[in-house]
Amino acid sequence: MLRLENINKSFHEKKILDHVSLRVERGEIAVMLGKSGVGKSTLLRLLNNLETIDSGSVYLDNKKLDMDTINRGHKIGMVFQEFNLFAHMTVEQNITFVLEKVMKKSKQSAHKTAAELLKHYGLEGKANSLVSGLSGGQKQRLAIARTLALKPQIICMDEPTSALDPLLTTHVAKTIQELSDEGYIILIATHDTALLEKLNCTIYLMDAGKIVESATSMEFSKKRDAYPVLDSFIKGKK
Amino acid sequence: MTTSPIDFSLLAKSIPDLLYGALLSIQIAAGGCSIGFIFGTLFGLAQARGNVVLRILVGLYVTIFRGTPMLIQLLIAYFVFPQIGIQISAFWTAILAIGMNSTAYVSQIIRSGIASVGIGQLEAAQVLGLTKLQTIRYILLPQAIRVIFPALGNEFVTLIKDSSLASIIGVTELAKQGSMIQSQTYDALTVYFGVALMYLLMTGALSLLLSLAQRRMYKHATT
Repeated sequence: MLRLENINKSFHEKKILDHVSLRVERGEIAVMLGKSGVGKSTLLRLLNNLETIDSGSVYLDNKKLDMDTINRGHKIGMVFQEFNLFAHMTVEQNITFVLEKVMKKSKQSAHKTAAELLKHYGLEGKANSLVSGLSGGQKQRLAIARTLALKPQIICMDEPTSALDPLLTTHVAKTIQELSDEGYIILIATHDTALLEKLNCTIYLMDAGKIVESATSMEFSKKRDAYPVLDSFIKGKK
Repeated sequence: MTTSPIDFSLLAKSIPDLLYGALLSIQIAAGGCSIGFIFGTLFGLAQARGNVVLRILVGLYVTIFRGTPMLIQLLIAYFVFPQIGIQISAFWTAILAIGMNSTAYVSQIIRSGIASVGIGQLEAAQVLGLTKLQTIRYILLPQAIRVIFPALGNEFVTLIKDSSLASIIGVTELAKQGSMIQSQTYDALTVYFGVALMYLLMTGALSLLLSLAQRRMYKHATT
C-alpha cells in the first residue's frame, strides 16, 4: 500500500499542494482529477523526486521512503505526458539501454526482456525504428513498456491520454486496467473525464492543492448526487 | 604565344616542402582541435549544467579568448610561457594556443547543443535511475552533438586555416614553407597559389568527410 501523509509543496510562496494525504492499495488505480494548475502533476513529480517535498512523508507498505534516493530504488516509475522517450535511440534501445546501464543486466537478458515487452505492447515490428517513427499511441505504449522494464511497484502517469484520440484512449485505459489487475499501484493525473468512464478506479478531485472530494468510480456512477463537487466538475460546470 | 603566370616547374619542385608544411599544419590543427573538443565539451557542460562559480569562470574565459585576436594569444603564449617556466617548442605552443582559443568557441557550441536537448529527456533519465554522468554520456551529449555537428565541423575546418598563424612564431608549417620558398625564388604568385591550393585541398577533404559523416548520422536518425 502506498500512503501519502500531509504532503506540502510551495513554489515561490504559492501553495501548490496543501496537506495532501491518501492511500492507494496494490492493484488500485488512483486518479487525481482536476483542472490545470491544481497540483495533480506536481504530486506525481514529487513522488518521482523531480521536485522536492517541503514537508510530509511517503510510505510504501508502511515503510517510509527516502525520496532523495527513490529513483535508484526503482520502486516508482513515471510515464510522462510527452512520453520523454530517448529520441536518439531505437524503440528497442529505449528499453535495453535502461536494463543494461541501470539494472546492469546482460545484453542477452536485456534483449529478451525488451522483446517480451515489445511483443506484449504490439511494438515488436518497430523494434529497430527510431521513436520519431511511432504514432502517439505507440509512443505511449513504449513509454509504459520502458517503465515496466524496471519492475516498479508504483506507476505514475501524467495526463496519459491528453494527446490521444478516443479510440487510443480506450486502448490506454485497457492497458492501465491490466496493469492494475497485475497488482501495480497506479497514480494518474488527468483532466480527461472520458478516461474515468473506462477505468475501475478511485477518483480524487483536487482543487487549489487539496483533495476536495473522492469516490470510487463505481460508487460515483451509482450515486452521483452524493458527490456534488465531482459531479459538477465532470459535467463541466466547475 | 602567352605563357602561364604560374611556374608549374617551380610548383612541382616545391611540392615536397609544401607537403611537409601541410603535414605540420594538419598536426597543429588536429592537436588544437583535440584540445578544443575535450576542454570545450567540459567547459560547455560546466556553463550549461555547472554551479554559478563555474559558469562565471567559463564565461570569463570565453570573453577573453573570443574577444582577443588569436594572433595576439599565440604571441603571448610564445613569449610568456618561457617566462613562467613552461619550456615548450614553438610547435607545441601553437597547438596549445590554438587549442585554448578553440576551447572558447567549442564550449559555446556545446552549450547551445545542450540547451537544445529538452528537459524532459533529463527528467526521464533521472526517473529511470541514471546517474548524472550516465545522463551526460548517454542522453545529453549524443543528442547535443547531432544538433551541433555542422557548427562543430565548421570550427574544425577553420582551425586548419588558423594553423597558418603558427608561422608567426617560426613553426615551419604550410604558410611558413611558402614564405621561405618565396623568399628564395621571388615568385610569390606561384608559391602562394600552391599554398592556397594545399589549404583548399585540406579544408575541402575535411568538409567532404564531415558532410559524409553528417549524412550518415542523418540517415541513421531517420531509419
